[in-house]
Amino acid sequence: MPEEKPDTMTRRTVIATAATAAFVPVGAIRSAAQTPAPQRIFSPEQKRTLEAFLERLCPKDELGPGAVEIGAQDYIEVQLGDYLAPEKQTFLDGLAAVDAYARTSQGSGLADLSAEKQDQVLTDIDSGKAPQNTRAFFNRARRLMLEGMFGDPHYGGNKNFAGWDLIRYPGPRLATSPDLQKMGVAIQPYRRSAWGNDGHNH
Amino acid sequence: MATNLKPVDVVVVGLGAAGGTAVLPLARAGLKIAGIEAGTWMDPAKDFKADEVHNNVRGMITTGNKIRREAPTFRTSPDQPAQQGGPSPMMNAIGGTSIHYHAQSWRLKPWDFKTVTEVKKRYGAGYLPKGSTVADWPIGWDDIEPFYDVVEHEIGVSGKAGNINGVLDPVGNVYEGPRRREYPMPPLRTCDYLEHMKSAARSLGWKPFHSPAAINSEPYKGRTSCGYHGYCDRGGCHLRAKNSTCFTTIPEAQKTKNLTIFDRAQVTRILADSNGRVTGVQYLRDGQEFFQPAKAVLIGSYTYENVRLLLVSKSKAFPNGLSNNHGQVGKHYFGHWDAQAGAGVNALFPMDLNIWYGAILSQGVVIDEWADDSFDHSGLGFIGGASLTVYTEKHPIASAASATFGQAPQWGSKWKAWIHQNAGRAASAYLQANSFPYENTYLDLDPEIKDPLGDSVIRVTSGPKENERQACLYAQDKMEQWFKAAGATVVTKGNPTGPRLSTHTYGGTRMGDNPETSVVDKWGLAHEAPNLGMLGGSVFATSGARNPTLTIQALAWRTADHLAKNWNEIAG
Repeated sequence: MPEEKPDTMTRRTVIATAATAAFVPVGAIRSAAQTPAPQRIFSPEQKRTLEAFLERLCPKDELGPGAVEIGAQDYIEVQLGDYLAPEKQTFLDGLAAVDAYARTSQGSGLADLSAEKQDQVLTDIDSGKAPQNTRAFFNRARRLMLEGMFGDPHYGGNKNFAGWDLIRYPGPRLATSPDLQKMGVAIQPYRRSAWGNDGHNH
Repeated sequence: MATNLKPVDVVVVGLGAAGGTAVLPLARAGLKIAGIEAGTWMDPAKDFKADEVHNNVRGMITTGNKIRREAPTFRTSPDQPAQQGGPSPMMNAIGGTSIHYHAQSWRLKPWDFKTVTEVKKRYGAGYLPKGSTVADWPIGWDDIEPFYDVVEHEIGVSGKAGNINGVLDPVGNVYEGPRRREYPMPPLRTCDYLEHMKSAARSLGWKPFHSPAAINSEPYKGRTSCGYHGYCDRGGCHLRAKNSTCFTTIPEAQKTKNLTIFDRAQVTRILADSNGRVTGVQYLRDGQEFFQPAKAVLIGSYTYENVRLLLVSKSKAFPNGLSNNHGQVGKHYFGHWDAQAGAGVNALFPMDLNIWYGAILSQGVVIDEWADDSFDHSGLGFIGGASLTVYTEKHPIASAASATFGQAPQWGSKWKAWIHQNAGRAASAYLQANSFPYENTYLDLDPEIKDPLGDSVIRVTSGPKENERQACLYAQDKMEQWFKAAGATVVTKGNPTGPRLSTHTYGGTRMGDNPETSVVDKWGLAHEAPNLGMLGGSVFATSGARNPTLTIQALAWRTADHLAKNWNEIAG
């Protein structure tokens, strides 16, 4: 075993060091801070369809809130109006294709179907039974849902840190003690955004 | 019309891991240096965030404006069309990829430098991989060891020696080449998971040791130690505890007043006179063209750009590209067979590992029993092997997105319950295999795809290789054994198909004694243009089974040191 050095770092020294680290000349290539103005991307109908879709991917149940309560759709809406703007139309077209398939296969729009029938629509898409263009949407929407549920709340999702609570991720600390790497113990969550606020700036 | 600037002694193209290291010995020797870098400074307080979306999803610390315009194309064989796409391994910033890399800081093995000789001696010439152009390096262990030592102490590397002047210590890596002294700092902090994996390895009779890392395990040279916050992968260090060149060698060189940095400057051509000597570089900054004359030029961009800069720099003396009259520029290229090339192994454990925090591969434990020539290959049908690293640092999106080991679907309540229990119970291992150059693996200029300036991008041709595939499969079995010995309930293995665009790339301006089979000499200076030096993975003749950066830095230091010490002869 290598000799263990005592961990002398406190949160205070970490912050102090980070602040004085600007010794490096300033002027980064890109602006790191991102504060997009919330922009309405979805019509009420589109929002209902998307929420129905996301809620079947990750339903509210005895384990706690699902994708919608965690705010995956808000992340997607904020980002399609900002960083992901180039894919906005593809996303909306894919959403329309899913809703159209729900109508042809189950008789009404996705949001108006029972949970069971909604699951059938998703299963058809996932198994390749539904038209090809719904599959790309499924994969992209699932990926964006994961980002919205488990990414930093700074980007519009992960409401009340519920996504991190779901997978028991204990939060982005600036420095950690050895106790926070002990196996098999529950770690006290540190509910903060890495962007230095409560994470809800949208 | 280009604006002519005041001449300097040396131009260094690219201030990343390689160029950012070379500037220090040059500056200390009193040479006047122009450091020309396509990116600029990043600000730890503003840019380096504990944020997976910022670092990993959007790659804010791993990209740059220039590399976006010149992404290489890729194909798996010469008779296929090459296509652009996939993440670029290149980077534009002062500090380059040393800002966001994992900072594992390895020395290669003596065997890596003399693979051909050693294989012939132990197994016979028939054991060398078919179709391979592998060659011994023109330098050996005694040539490079002093420079490993210098760089380890200059930038600060944490680790435990396993072989000091032939005296072995099983707490360190007993398979390493002899070193003259201990690392300047002890290894990074251990944790429960790593101790658990070490016990499992010992139960198999193996000798686990902690990763060598260019991250401070204790305060070093005025900078603090690692915070183990778990956003090291593709992120810069908010504490400046990762010893990126923008925190170490570059500021040190600036103190001498001999280094002038030209940032946001894109080098477009290296110029040469009719005698075959380079005269300086041409670059673009804010849309304006400049010519920076110099007595010597060192090119330290990424492997792909090193080769491209030579190939597009045509002149009377070099009609096929700078220092390419023997047609060797772009040859003997190869990517590293590692986890990104399909050689990954994943495991699911029945308990919470709590490896969310940490420092990626640098807070890791390594097994070297199955790498290089540490074991007898008689009858195995391949040479080399792979190092096996288990490590910390898991990010929430990636953990929720990872495969469910066949135990649950990918959506719905069952999936949700599965990630609730298991997102923090899965671990990955990083394998890196000894990789070699081949006849049909090379870099050239893409005949169709061009950057906005009209210059061709690099075309990468790299197909499957049986030797490396067999070495990966062999090492993956060993990794599976290790995970199972540690109590993993399920282990899955990737399919090693080979590297595409890679963050570990080698060759293209290979180092050698013979101009017919290499581009630079044993000092890293071009055979055909003696005042031109090449820095980076592009000079490697073999990869080793480990991360390349420390070797890149040791060689960059050595080239710069040689240039400074023989200044009149080389540049006079």
